[in-house]
Amino acid sequence: MKPRLYEYASRLSRRRFLKGATALGAASALPAGLMPKPASAQDNLRARILAIPGVGQGSPTDAHWQQVGELCLGATKANVAEGEFAGVELTFMGLNNQNLHNLLFRGFLKPWEAYTGARINWIDLAQADYNSRLQQSIATGTVDFDILEMGAPFEGDTAGRGLLDEMPDWVSAQIDDSDLVGYLQPPVGTWNGKKYRITIDGDCHTFAYRKDYFGEGAIGGAEVPRTWQQVNAVSKALVGQTDPLTGLPAHGYLDPLKGWGGFGFYFICNRAAAYVKHPDDRAWLFDPDTMKPRVNNPGWVQAIQDVMDLIATPGAYPADQINADPGTTAFSQFLAGTGSMLMWWGDVGSSARTSDTSVVGDVVGFGINPGSERRYNSAAGAWEETANEAPVMAYIGWGIYVTSRVSGDEKKRKAAWSAAAHLGGKDLSLWTAAYPSGFQPYRNSHFNYEEWEAAGYDRAFVEDYLGSNADSYNHPNAAIEPRIPGIFQYYSVAEDELAKGFAGQYKSAQETADAIAAAWEKITDQIGRDNQIALYKASLGM
Amino acid sequence: MSGSDQLHVVTSDDISDSRRRMGRALVWGSAALMALVAAAQVAQTAGWRDFGFANWRPTLYAYCLFATCLCWAQVLVRGEQGKRTLFVLPAALFVISLTVFPLLFGLVIAFSNWNLSSLSGRQFNGTANLVQMWHDPFYWNALGNMVIYVAAIVVEYAIAFGLALILAGQIRARKFWRVSFLMPLMLSPVAVSWMIGKSMLEPRFGPLARLARALGIENPSFFESPWMAKLTIMVLDAWTFIPFMMIMLLAGLQAIPKELQEASRVDGASGWKSFWEITFPLMLPVSVTAILIRIIFKLKLADIVITITSGGPGGATDTVTSFIFREYRERSNVGYGTMLAMVYLVLIVIGMTILMKLAARLTRPRT
Repeated sequence: MKPRLYEYASRLSRRRFLKGATALGAASALPAGLMPKPASAQDNLRARILAIPGVGQGSPTDAHWQQVGELCLGATKANVAEGEFAGVELTFMGLNNQNLHNLLFRGFLKPWEAYTGARINWIDLAQADYNSRLQQSIATGTVDFDILEMGAPFEGDTAGRGLLDEMPDWVSAQIDDSDLVGYLQPPVGTWNGKKYRITIDGDCHTFAYRKDYFGEGAIGGAEVPRTWQQVNAVSKALVGQTDPLTGLPAHGYLDPLKGWGGFGFYFICNRAAAYVKHPDDRAWLFDPDTMKPRVNNPGWVQAIQDVMDLIATPGAYPADQINADPGTTAFSQFLAGTGSMLMWWGDVGSSARTSDTSVVGDVVGFGINPGSERRYNSAAGAWEETANEAPVMAYIGWGIYVTSRVSGDEKKRKAAWSAAAHLGGKDLSLWTAAYPSGFQPYRNSHFNYEEWEAAGYDRAFVEDYLGSNADSYNHPNAAIEPRIPGIFQYYSVAEDELAKGFAGQYKSAQETADAIAAAWEKITDQIGRDNQIALYKASLGM
Repeated sequence: MSGSDQLHVVTSDDISDSRRRMGRALVWGSAALMALVAAAQVAQTAGWRDFGFANWRPTLYAYCLFATCLCWAQVLVRGEQGKRTLFVLPAALFVISLTVFPLLFGLVIAFSNWNLSSLSGRQFNGTANLVQMWHDPFYWNALGNMVIYVAAIVVEYAIAFGLALILAGQIRARKFWRVSFLMPLMLSPVAVSWMIGKSMLEPRFGPLARLARALGIENPSFFESPWMAKLTIMVLDAWTFIPFMMIMLLAGLQAIPKELQEASRVDGASGWKSFWEITFPLMLPVSVTAILIRIIFKLKLADIVITITSGGPGGATDTVTSFIFREYRERSNVGYGTMLAMVYLVLIVIGMTILMKLAARLTRPRT
């Protein structure tokens, strides 16, 4: 769970937890015959780990992580004999964001190390250093790690170059990967039909809106916008109105108009996906046969034009929006009471209620990415007057991978996969979903709200907030980004061109889109078109 | 050896031919070994033959051996004279290792097509990067911005000179003001970017925006229009670095002999006349130094831009360094990024050489 989300949910549930503790005390005094029927051992395990340290009992520590790791060792013990990996040394490269990620993994894997006899050395990286460290290791042939925490977008850079080890079948069974939510199922995590990834996280953009802007008599209209056409119409209609919460000028949707190291491109993708992600076609950024960019097709141009229309409408955006990156739109604007609609990752919802600077905690609602009243069919080269929805799975989430360094040594290979499988275990993942870990829920079993409620969470919050994630994850037309080498290079250069377009340096949305397409073609040629085509197809499972 | 040199000789040099031969053999032998190892490594890298090298350390070790032998040979071959050389040679070799070699490697990379995501790795592509740069509107835009940023130094200099004159005068709490004016220089530009650029200048809730609204400006925005954004970046950068120029000029002012100014006053020169005819000309060497160093700092401007505007809106505040940062870091375009940096380096060297020539002419005593 994202730390802020936990903070919020804990605050809600402390009273419920105490109520639960009282009830438990009373129940223990009952005669045996009156006691509720005991749950299965598996249910007991899940309930036991969710009680470490207990919702509302403060942030977990290394001792708790080790405790959870110890309790979840059952699956490892079924596949590995005690001391089987004695003398094996593995190197694990991952992140240390917010003192989570690798720090948790250390705790989870300590009991695993004690049981198997293997030893793990750690390479901890800050998020900002991660990409360059990984790319330089790959480019200079100095991959010095056996296990790797990595986002799916980098699969093209690693799996595409044969740097990863294929997942053995027993791992797939141990982690029960059939439980993964829809969009994390293959082809994500696979290349040429081979599995490489143990998923430990899920990512998607969801729609956050201000409830006080919408409803009978509200300034934004009776209904919450469900399409981008409605979002734009509401954003224009709100010009000149007053925000019901702050008394300052009201605004509609908050487009980030400034780049953000490539991540800003996801936000134009939200608009564009509704137009261009056709249910019959997995591809939406490039033509898979030629790598010809689709970013300048009429659907994408419409998405860019929508933003330009709002830029051209005085007062539609807050002042200085041209200089607002996604961080600004979420944390300096939306949470501070500026604007009424936003697309973002998981943390904005929880921050709305836990951040000291947030004023919108009681009036925030969630949904999936708005759709469109029509869609562009790239294959037919024509618009279809059919409604379309396509939530964007921005970044796809973190996974654990094993590098091909271990492929030649069966004992080391089994040890590496065993360690990775321990971290991606079904029960352990419930704990990471429920407590601060930096990871979002990513399995269908994580959306069993009864389990959360029994652990002490507020049911209404969990259903509202996580429900929007679940609906996005399992959407049949989810827009999943291509896992090809250099994908963030494409995003980064697109941000530069979009910034020029939004600043009025190009004559039209089409010209802006054409500039992006031209820059993308250059990148494709530089990285190698044939190879990109092959990898793109592989990433799409074609 | 000349007679004057003899004064410094503490031992007589009686170098035998065999000792000389040994010295030369050491140099040439270690050089040959280094060339051999390097050639073998190149051959392995090119895929011609596998020598079992795991990395480039053998060549590094061979270079270290050569450097040691070269130093040793100086004494063997040239005796006392060689010992003198030994005072400088290790440092020279160290500098060469850390500047000349990387520069040469940098040039090799600059003339390569090397995208870290490309499976084909680094490939020599001749002048293709130069041609791409020539047609790259982002680079030219950034260079154009740099001209404007550098031109702003004239204003910064005038302000710094004014402040230095005030602080050099007999003002109350002079030490306090000197320290106060120096404070911005002590702050990290990244901290300045966040504290001022992102917080105080925040258009809705930032205190400066509130002040502007109170003064009747309806929608104050410091980074929305291209020129306003450029101006704000220039002001932020100036606020950080004016103290640097000021402190240099202040040191210069304090070094001017008081008698000259007193003499001018006795001769009836007014305050302005005294400044223009005495103080300013005497301050020219210091001024030129301060301006040249400030230009070098300015040409590296990137942190404030990257943090606040990412070069926007639409490239209006982009600097060459911030553009190279995006090209290199975000796009892993190592070859092209290095070429941009190399060209920028050449432009800076040419520009600074011309400026220094002009400065030398300007500060030459008039007869």
